[in-house]
Amino acid sequence: MASISFKNVSKRFGDNLALDNVSFEVKDNAFFCLFGPPLCGKSTILKIILGLIDPDEGEVLIDGRSVAGVAPAQRNIAMVFQNLALFPHMSAEQNVRFPLAERGVDPLEISNRVAEVAEKLNITHILSKPPSQLSGGERQRVAIARALVRDPNAYLMDDPISALDARLREQTRVELRRIQQELGKTLVYVTHDQEEAMSVADTMAIMEDGKIRQTGTPVDLYDSPNSTYVAKMLGSPAMNILPLDFAGKGKPISFSGNTPKTAISIGIRPEDLEIKLAKPSNGASVVNVEPLGSFTTLMLDTSGKQLLATLRGQTKIQTGDHVAIMVNPERAHFFDKSGAAAQAAG
Amino acid sequence: MQRTLLFETFRFSIIFLIIALTLVPTLWMVSMAFKPIQEWSASGGDLTWWPKNPTLDNFRFIFGESSSELIVALERGAGRPILASLLSATFGTLIAMVAGTTAAYGLSRFNSGRNLPLALIQLRLFPPMAVMIPVMIMWAFLGLTDTWWGLALIYGIVTLPFAFWLMKTFFDDMPREIEDAALVEGCSRFRVFLKITLPMMRPALASSALFVFILNWSDYLIALLLTTRDWVTIPVYMASLSSSMTGQLYGAKAALGLIAAIPPVVMGIAIQKHLVRGLTFGALKE
Ligand SMILES: Nc1ncnc2c1ncn2[C@@H]1O[C@H](COP(=O)(O)OP(=O)(O)OP(=O)(O)O)[C@@H](O)[C@H]1O
Ligand SMILES: [Mg+2]
Repeated sequence: MASISFKNVSKRFGDNLALDNVSFEVKDNAFFCLFGPPLCGKSTILKIILGLIDPDEGEVLIDGRSVAGVAPAQRNIAMVFQNLALFPHMSAEQNVRFPLAERGVDPLEISNRVAEVAEKLNITHILSKPPSQLSGGERQRVAIARALVRDPNAYLMDDPISALDARLREQTRVELRRIQQELGKTLVYVTHDQEEAMSVADTMAIMEDGKIRQTGTPVDLYDSPNSTYVAKMLGSPAMNILPLDFAGKGKPISFSGNTPKTAISIGIRPEDLEIKLAKPSNGASVVNVEPLGSFTTLMLDTSGKQLLATLRGQTKIQTGDHVAIMVNPERAHFFDKSGAAAQAAG
Repeated sequence: MQRTLLFETFRFSIIFLIIALTLVPTLWMVSMAFKPIQEWSASGGDLTWWPKNPTLDNFRFIFGESSSELIVALERGAGRPILASLLSATFGTLIAMVAGTTAAYGLSRFNSGRNLPLALIQLRLFPPMAVMIPVMIMWAFLGLTDTWWGLALIYGIVTLPFAFWLMKTFFDDMPREIEDAALVEGCSRFRVFLKITLPMMRPALASSALFVFILNWSDYLIALLLTTRDWVTIPVYMASLSSSMTGQLYGAKAALGLIAAIPPVVMGIAIQKHLVRGLTFGALKE
């Protein structure tokens, strides 16, 4: 039960500006996801929340109160570290017991809680082993159990399930989402997998190079990215972004609608391209077809520009075919010179 | 490369040569320790590889009893010097390890005392003789001369830089996150050190302690300058093993050398099983 907010937080490591004027707000009980490429400052944010790193500037509030000078142990926040940080000289069980034992919880109560959380994460059978004898996925679950075993104000998880294979990852993220809702606790979650971020987050923040570029619900960010950067970070395959003169009446991409004055480029998600077989004129040719089962990805080439389009299910279109491309004006995004979203109203 | 017979022969000759160079003198010492005086003193006859009449005379002799009419029994046995060496080396190691480990932890984690690590190693660049004279004066003034505790103290000080540097490297290599996790889970910094860091560092502590102990155990110079009679150590005592009639008492020296080899070897074997595993094996993701 805690809200967490950053007010203009900056952090430098030597000459390296790891966090640049970062502000955001995590609501109580929210599943908040930090998403960004490597080294953009995600772990640094979590460590500042924990109190392991002090910000150079700005303020961190937990439940509306500044936590400057409060020791990590007093903040009552649990963390799954990116490299897991299990205690190598203790068994899995001792690792999971540790947070409760350190807080002087009654031994009987500890045993019950450990058994319960071990059950939940399916690690009961490996509790007696030391971390060195566990697989990567098992270690990750032990680390998650160590965080879940106590009753903190908030949980932080730094890319907690990256060591799992794709299928198990999907299962586990659903499980984590369910656990978070069950516990009714704030969870700040770091990932560099956009699909994972979108599937679990109530709110997500997209980061680049120490800055937060946009915050919002996954759907908001997907539908209204404020910049080409955010537009490209979400969605797979990524949004097509082309110079504006590729779209319009009689252009390779047939488009009828107003474009904002400041716009210089247009962005269209692969699933928003409408594709029809056509005569070879000024449309596009199909360079590659990838049938992926539930959808098919087409790579198109129009005057030297490559576009990706996805179609539901299978298609008869083949490599070498010529197609006409159309876009619903409501599904098009516009960006100005700086890469920021251009406002249609202009 | 093709492993021809010629190449293999060459390879094994080299290996054999190296082994011979390192092991033969040791074997010679072992063999000599069990020879009666007639066999180890050149005047007594021809030198042989193995004792013809193996005997424990040399061991009896250094503990103060002579069975040979050729040399008179020693006035002082080796018991006291062995005790002196054990006490001073052990406690010296303890002092160096406790002070070195805590200093290394502080400097590694809090990045304070910027030039201190270098200053500590520079201590060792001084020729020991230049430092020892003032130390002799101080020790005399403090009444520490010719005591095992005085020796232990100076051993601790002299080997502190080694303990410090070894442990600092280990602490620097330990991932921060493991300690961070304990801090977050409710430990104070001191408790983290006791409950997480030290147990994890057991192999590092063991190997550093062995190294420091061997340094202390094999010291000659300091003991020579700071002890005179009551608490001379094994090396100093060994140097004094000679007789006016037969000169150097090689048999007795060999016997004492053999005894002196025991503690480091035993320690090494005891520690060995801690050394094979990495420090953080299993703690991290990869
Ligand atoms: N303790 C530190 N000392 C010096 N620089 C650091 C430290 N911690 C982080 N940095 C730097 O700060 C920047 C942000 O690092 P951070 O670990 O927060 O990135 P991240 O987004 O978590 O990356 P990843 O996805 O790889 O985990 C990086 O440039 C990194 O090199
Ligand atoms: Mg990180």
